[in-house]
Amino acid sequence: DNSITELLGALCDCSIYGVSWKRRALGGLSKEGARKALKKRAYGALLSKFFQPGTCKGSASGPATTPPRNKVLMISFDLRVAGCREEAERLEELLGALPEGDAADPVLELLVHLAGSALPPPTSF
Amino acid sequence: MASGANANMNAVRETMDVLLEISRLLNTGLDMESLSICVRLCEQGINPEALSLVIKELRKASDSLKASDNSTN
Repeated sequence: DNSITELLGALCDCSIYGVSWKRRALGGLSKEGARKALKKRAYGALLSKFFQPGTCKGSASGPATTPPRNKVLMISFDLRVAGCREEAERLEELLGALPEGDAADPVLELLVHLAGSALPPPTSF
Repeated sequence: MASGANANMNAVRETMDVLLEISRLLNTGLDMESLSICVRLCEQGINPEALSLVIKELRKASDSLKASDNSTN
């Protein structure tokens, strides 16, 4: 269950978790249809980047690229400047807790690209 | 042999916990399940930047599905 197609399918399933299909089926859009449409969009996004120059595996790890750990440290610096000292310190602590070597680098790179992309948690009154 | 496998499992779990907390601090919106799928996709050599586009695209699509879900309520 580790093939790219299966993993992308699982990612699509995660993103439509919680959608009500019973009511939707009456309107003509089935779960399978939505899943197919999501997969199409996922592959479209994946391939759009794949064929852009400078995105091949070799150039991504080239000397001109900032290592993802440094990018996380830059975010940590921004947090400090914004007055979020505790979060910045925790972030640096967690970075230090990751295993040595660059095995976690692609995941860190992904997290940096997604940083701030989620909606802020709802404020309670 | 079994204890070696257990130690390895614990190390993987700890790394996942650390990555999940980093993910939360960075406000990426990934839950544990999505994160573990992303980790495996990265292990398969998927470009992280391309994967981030995939996730953003899937979010847009599911948001519009959920929004239309709410409007019919």
